[in-house]
Amino acid sequence: MEESKPYLQLIASGIVSGALYLLLYLYEREILSAFTRTDGWFPALPVLAALVFSFAHGAFTGYFWEVLGIKARRKK
Amino acid sequence: MEHAAVQFIDLQYGNVLALLAIGFVGGLVSGFIGSGGAFVLTPAMMSMGVPGVVAVASNLCHKFPKALVGAYQRNKFGQVDVKLGLVMAASATAGVWVGADFQNQIKLDYGEAGSNLYVSLAFVVVLAIVGAFVLRDAVRVYRSGEIDAQEKASRLALWVQSVEIPGTMMHFKTANIRVSALFTLPLGFATGLLASTIAVGGFIGVPGMMYVLGASGLVASATELVIAFVMGFGGTVKYSMLGLVDIRLALILLAGSLFGIQLGAIGTTFVKPYLIKVVMAAIMLIVAVSRALVVPVYLTQLGKMNLAPQTMAWLQTVSFAFLILALCVGGIIILGAMLRGYRTREAALGREAVTE
Repeated sequence: MEESKPYLQLIASGIVSGALYLLLYLYEREILSAFTRTDGWFPALPVLAALVFSFAHGAFTGYFWEVLGIKARRKK
Repeated sequence: MEHAAVQFIDLQYGNVLALLAIGFVGGLVSGFIGSGGAFVLTPAMMSMGVPGVVAVASNLCHKFPKALVGAYQRNKFGQVDVKLGLVMAASATAGVWVGADFQNQIKLDYGEAGSNLYVSLAFVVVLAIVGAFVLRDAVRVYRSGEIDAQEKASRLALWVQSVEIPGTMMHFKTANIRVSALFTLPLGFATGLLASTIAVGGFIGVPGMMYVLGASGLVASATELVIAFVMGFGGTVKYSMLGLVDIRLALILLAGSLFGIQLGAIGTTFVKPYLIKVVMAAIMLIVAVSRALVVPVYLTQLGKMNLAPQTMAWLQTVSFAFLILALCVGGIIILGAMLRGYRTREAALGREAVTE
């Protein structure tokens, strides 16, 4: 039998990832100026943003391939 | 406080699409062979007007989360030796520092063109030698007809594994090897050195883990992602403290590369293991040609040769085209092999369904 595909997860992670990229687009100037500051904890921002985007967008891309039916061949 | 006085470009839609596309193919190749992509991404960003140092910084900032996602994925397939990755990464970090200092010194002594010449020569020499070696091995495996068999350790690796140095022996479970740390140290160091010179340490790291330590191609390429993560993370912190990361570029690259790296990682589970070597050798040799083409340009800039400006511009364009070609050839071999592997699997599943 065909196993059910993670459509809900795909949509949820897609919304989160899309929202993050929308914020980046809308606040491009503000983000760039805050993220290139070198005082205090500002240098941590690019690292944190990269991690947050990789979790959200990484989940989305993972579900994306799964929904398309492209899955790893498990070694037994 | 003011941020560093560098120019951050205005993003055009065309540039964004190009970054997404190169990010995707770069990710696909990274997911499959453990590294790659940076050699195209950095020059591509520079051709859009991004200053060199910002291009390097932004590439590193997209590399570490990409490598993290790739390593996580391939760890699920049981291909990552985390311990080997971390041990190699420790000495790779030292290699990066030394390499960066050396690079700076060359820039001070011989200027921008001297530094470019050094980087290009390093590319040509290392990639031509290692690429030819990897290709020869891939051809040997193909001709022997043992493409489905478990990879055999090289003679060098067997010797390395046989050397017992008390107090330094380490066992790496997933790679299934026991070697002295005295062998992993210089290998990691060379990986870092190359990474800080040509931005792709994996061209030493992966063949090194395969032929010197005796890890399989699958484990070596997957473990390289751990090294890439550590080096990318350290590099990002360093450049971020100088205010040089263009987070927009990094996140746009990431948008494409996360699709690619997961597809590349999945791909490793249904292609024949020797194919990792084929892809690696093809990319390395084409990149070597690309870099060899610009050597006369830098020699002219240093006053050692005499080329017309049009010839130099032409050579630079052809060289960049070869970089894109390297990435595309890698991507096409991977996708083609995945498609074949996928069809074989579907056919096998079909047969199973019939017999049931």
